[in-house]
Amino acid sequence: MTRGERTAWLFTAPVLAIILLVFVLPTLVALGLSVTDYSIYALADWSNLGFVGLGNFADLLATPLFWRALGNTALFAALGVPMAIGASLAAALLLHDATVRWKPAWRVLLFAPYVTSVVATAVVWRFVLNTRFGLLNYVLGGLGIAPVDWLGDPRASIPAILLFVTWKIFGYNMIVFTAALSAVPQDLMEAARLDGAGRWARFRHVTLPAIGPTLLLAAVMSVAGFLQLFAEPYVMTMGGPAQSTVTVLYFMFDEGFRWWNLGQASAVAFVLFVLILAVTIVQTRIGRRYEWL
Amino acid sequence: MLICNKKQGAEIDRWSGFSAVDRRGVLAGAAATMMAGCGVRRDPSALRLWAMSYEGDYSPHLMPAFTARTGIPVEVQSLPWTAAHEKLLTAFAGDALPDVMMLPNGWVGEFAMAGAIAPVAEREVADLFPGTADTVRWRGTPYAVPWSVAPQAQFFRRDRLDGPPAEDWDGWRAMGLRLKRRFPDSYAFLILLNWWDTLFTFAGQAGAALLRERDTRGNFATPEFRAALDFYVSLFRDRLAPAVLSTEVQDPVAAFAQGWFLVYPSGPSLLLDFKRRAAEIPAARWGVARMPGPTGPGAVSGVSGALAVARGTRRPEAARALVRHLTSARSELRFQQLIGNLPARASAWADAQMAAPVLAPFAAQLRQPARDPAVVEWERIRIEVQLIAERVVRGLLTVGVAVQEMDRRADLILAKRRALVQAGRLA
Amino acid sequence: MVVRPARALVMNAVAVLLTVATVAPLLWMVLVSFMPRGASSAFPPPLWPVRWTWENYHELLARREYDGVFFDYRIVPALLNSLFVAGVSTLLGLLLTVPAGYAFAKLRFRGRERLLQLLIASLVVPGQVAMLPLFLIFKELGLVNSYAGVILPSLAGIFAILFVRQATLSIPDEMLDAARLDGASEGRIFVSIVLPLLAPVTVTLALFMFLGSWNDFLWPLIVLADQHLYTLPVAVAAISREHAADGELMMAAAVVTTMPVLLLFLALQRYYMTGLLGGSVKG
Repeated sequence: MTRGERTAWLFTAPVLAIILLVFVLPTLVALGLSVTDYSIYALADWSNLGFVGLGNFADLLATPLFWRALGNTALFAALGVPMAIGASLAAALLLHDATVRWKPAWRVLLFAPYVTSVVATAVVWRFVLNTRFGLLNYVLGGLGIAPVDWLGDPRASIPAILLFVTWKIFGYNMIVFTAALSAVPQDLMEAARLDGAGRWARFRHVTLPAIGPTLLLAAVMSVAGFLQLFAEPYVMTMGGPAQSTVTVLYFMFDEGFRWWNLGQASAVAFVLFVLILAVTIVQTRIGRRYEWL
Repeated sequence: MLICNKKQGAEIDRWSGFSAVDRRGVLAGAAATMMAGCGVRRDPSALRLWAMSYEGDYSPHLMPAFTARTGIPVEVQSLPWTAAHEKLLTAFAGDALPDVMMLPNGWVGEFAMAGAIAPVAEREVADLFPGTADTVRWRGTPYAVPWSVAPQAQFFRRDRLDGPPAEDWDGWRAMGLRLKRRFPDSYAFLILLNWWDTLFTFAGQAGAALLRERDTRGNFATPEFRAALDFYVSLFRDRLAPAVLSTEVQDPVAAFAQGWFLVYPSGPSLLLDFKRRAAEIPAARWGVARMPGPTGPGAVSGVSGALAVARGTRRPEAARALVRHLTSARSELRFQQLIGNLPARASAWADAQMAAPVLAPFAAQLRQPARDPAVVEWERIRIEVQLIAERVVRGLLTVGVAVQEMDRRADLILAKRRALVQAGRLA
Repeated sequence: MVVRPARALVMNAVAVLLTVATVAPLLWMVLVSFMPRGASSAFPPPLWPVRWTWENYHELLARREYDGVFFDYRIVPALLNSLFVAGVSTLLGLLLTVPAGYAFAKLRFRGRERLLQLLIASLVVPGQVAMLPLFLIFKELGLVNSYAGVILPSLAGIFAILFVRQATLSIPDEMLDAARLDGASEGRIFVSIVLPLLAPVTVTLALFMFLGSWNDFLWPLIVLADQHLYTLPVAVAAISREHAADGELMMAAAVVTTMPVLLLFLALQRYYMTGLLGGSVKG
C-alpha cells in the first residue's frame, strides 16, 4: 500500500463504515424483512416469525388505504411539483428583472421559510388555515370568496398542505434558478432582441434552453421530495380528513412504528423505492431526449 | 447531504441537490454552535411513569406523598393520546419502556401478549366494581390495575335545553331536531369524526358483538351494528352534528360555552375543564346525563386508564409500590378532584366527595363496565372502523358497503391472529 | 421605451407583495405569540396585539410551582438538546465527510471508482427504506433512546462526500504534487493546502448540516423515548397535540423553534447567498 493509499483509506474508511452500518446493512435487512410476516407477534416471540414470500406485496395490493395513499401521493406530486417549481421560477424571473430594486433583501426574505422547522411552521399554518379565525380565509373573504374548510374538507386538504409546502420550499429553487438565469448568455439575448423576438419568444428560445438542465434537476429532486412527504400531514392533519392526506410514507410509518408490522412496512418502503427509481429514470430519459443532460 | 436527511426526510436535502449548494461563504460562527448539551438530566434514582393527557399532566401532584413515604422520587412523562400507542410500542421494541405506564383497558391484552408488562397480584384488583377486573385480564390473569375511569356521558347546556336530555335514541334525535329548530345557528351535538368512542358506545348499547369465530374475524354486518351505524350517520346527515375532526375544533370548551353546539358526549375530564374555565361557562349553564341507548342507557365506551408495571423494570418492587400508591382510594379521590376522572376503587365511592349530584350519572355508569375484545389488533380495528364510518358520514360510502368493508379490513388485520389460532399457537 | 417607469412600478410592487405574503405567516407567528391568551381566536383575526404580553413565553419557558410540584414544558432543555445534537452532528459530519470527499477527488486507491459509483447509485434509495431495520439494529447496539442514536445516522453523509469531492476537483493537481515533491506528508497537504481552499465550501456545508439536524423530525421522534432527550421539534410536536387550543402558547413555541436557525441564517446569509449565487450552480 502506498503512502497515498494509506491516507486515502484513513480518510474514507470511517465514513464508509458508518454508511455501511446505518444505510447499507439496514437496507439489506429491510429487503429480508419484506418477505417475512414480522409483526407484534414476532416481537413477542421470535418463533412466530414466518417466511411469506411476496405475500406482503400481495396484501398491500389488496389494501384500499395503500391505493389511496398512492393516489394521494401521486396527486401531491402531480400538483405540487408544477406549483413549487412554477413559484420558484416566477420568483426568480421577477427578481431577475432589471427594474426590480433591493434584490438581495427580497431574496433573503423569500428564502427564510426554507430554513424553518416543519413542525413549528405547521403549527403556524394550522392557524393561518383555520376556517373561522384564519388569516387566509380572512384575506379571501376580502376578495369575496366564501370561507374554505381547508383542513376539514377532504377536497381542500391536499391543496392546503401544498400551499404550506410550496410556501416553505420555493425559496430554495428560486435561488438555484436565479443563479442559472444570470448565466444565460447575454449576447444571445441581445441578438434575439435585435431580431425582433418578443418577450415570450426570447424566454422560450433563449432562456429556457439555457436553464433547462437546472430546471430538470430541480424537477427530479422535487418529485423525489414530494414522493417522500410525511412530516407535513403528520403534524397538520394526522392523515385526515377521511384519509385524504395519507401519503405512502405516512402509511409506512403507521404500519411500521405505530402497529409494528415491519414486514408489511418494509414492503411499502420498497414500493416507494421502486417508484422513485422509476420516476427518476423516466425524467432522465426525457432530459436526454431534449439534450438537457 | 447527510444521510439523516435522506433517511429521516429532513427538509434540506429532500428538496435540493448537493450540486446546487455552493462553494463560497466564510468560516464564521460555525464554532458558536458548539456548546455542551447540558439539559436537565434525569435523576437516575427516580422511577419513571408514563401517562397520557390529564393523567400525565396532573399525576405529579400525587407523587410528593409517595416520595415522602418511600424516599423514591418519580419522574412523570406525559404523552399525547394521539401518539401514545406508537410511543409505547416503539419504546417496548427498543427496550426503553418506563417502570410504570398507564394503559387504557383496551391495550392491556395487547401489551401482555407482547410480553411488555408483568402480571399483577389478584388482590390488587379486588376492591373494584363487578366486571371491572375483567377489563384488565389476559388469559385470566390481571396485568394492570384500573386507575382513572372515564366512561362517556353527555354534557348539555342546561340553559338551552328544556330539561335533562333524552336517554334513548328516538328521543335524542327528536331533541336534536327540536334544538336545531330553536337555535338554527347552533348544532345540537358535537361528535368528533376521528374519535371512535361515540360510535362504539352506540354499537355496544345496541348489543353488537363486534368480532366472531374466537375473535378472528370482523362481525360488523350484523343488524345490531348496522342499526348503530345508521343512527350515528343520521345525526350528521340531518346536520344535528357538524362533520369535524378534533384537529379542526381547536377549543371545544370555548365552542360549547359560545353555544356552537349544545350537547357534547365526552368523558369526566371535561369536569376539570369546566371548573378551570368557570368564567366562560358558569356551573349553572351545564349538566351531565348518561349516554342514550336504543331504549335507555347501558354500557358505554370510554378510555379508562389502568396502571401496569413493565416486565423489564429493574425495580419491580418499587414500581409495584408506586402502582399501589396511585391506585389507592385516597390517591384516586384526590385525582378525581384534580382532573375529574373517576376512582376505580369501589371503596372510594363511599366517600362523601363522590356523592356530588354531577357525578351521579357516572356512578351509575361505573356499575355497567364495557368490555372490549381482548385481541392485540383491537385498537387498530377500532380506528379502521371509525375511518370507514367517517367516509359514510362524508357521503363517500353507503352503510351497506361500509359494513362489508369493515369486515374485510378487520379480517385482513386479524389474518395473522387467525393463522396462529388455527395452528393452535394462540388460545 | 415609454412604458419603462410603469413596468418598473408594477414589477417592484409585485416583488413587495410576494415578499409580504411570504413573510406574513412568520410575522403573524411573532405577533400572536405576544397576544394575551385567547385573543387570536376572533374574527376578523387580530393583526396587532391589543396588549403586548410575555405571558406565553413565561408559561412556555419558566419552571413553575403548583402545590409543591414543579411543572414545565421542557422547552429550554429541548433547546439545549437541539443545540447539542445539531452542533455535534455538524462537527463530526464535517470531520468525516470533508477528508473523504477530498480523498475521492485527489487520492488514488484501489476500488475508488467502484465505490464512487456505488455512492452515487445509493442516492436513489430513499432513506426511509433503511429506517425500520435501523431501529432494530440500534436496539441491539443499545443506541435507542440516546443522543448517539440520533446523531449517528446523520453522519453517513453521502451527499456531503460527493459535494466536497465536486469542489475539490477544481484544485489543480500540480499544487498538491509540488507539495509532495517538497516532502510534505499527505496529512500536512490536506491540512495546510486543501482545507484553506475548501473553507468556503465547508461553511456552506456546515450550515446545511446544522439546519438539517436542527429541523429533523421523524428519526428523533422514533428513536427518542425519554423526554429528557427530546429535541425541539419533537418536544413542540408533543405539546401541539395536547395544546392545540392554546394558540398563543403554540405560537410562542414556534417562535422559539424557528428563531435560532432563522437568526443563524440571517447572520450568515451574506456569505451564504453570494456563495449560492456567485458560483457555478448549474446541474
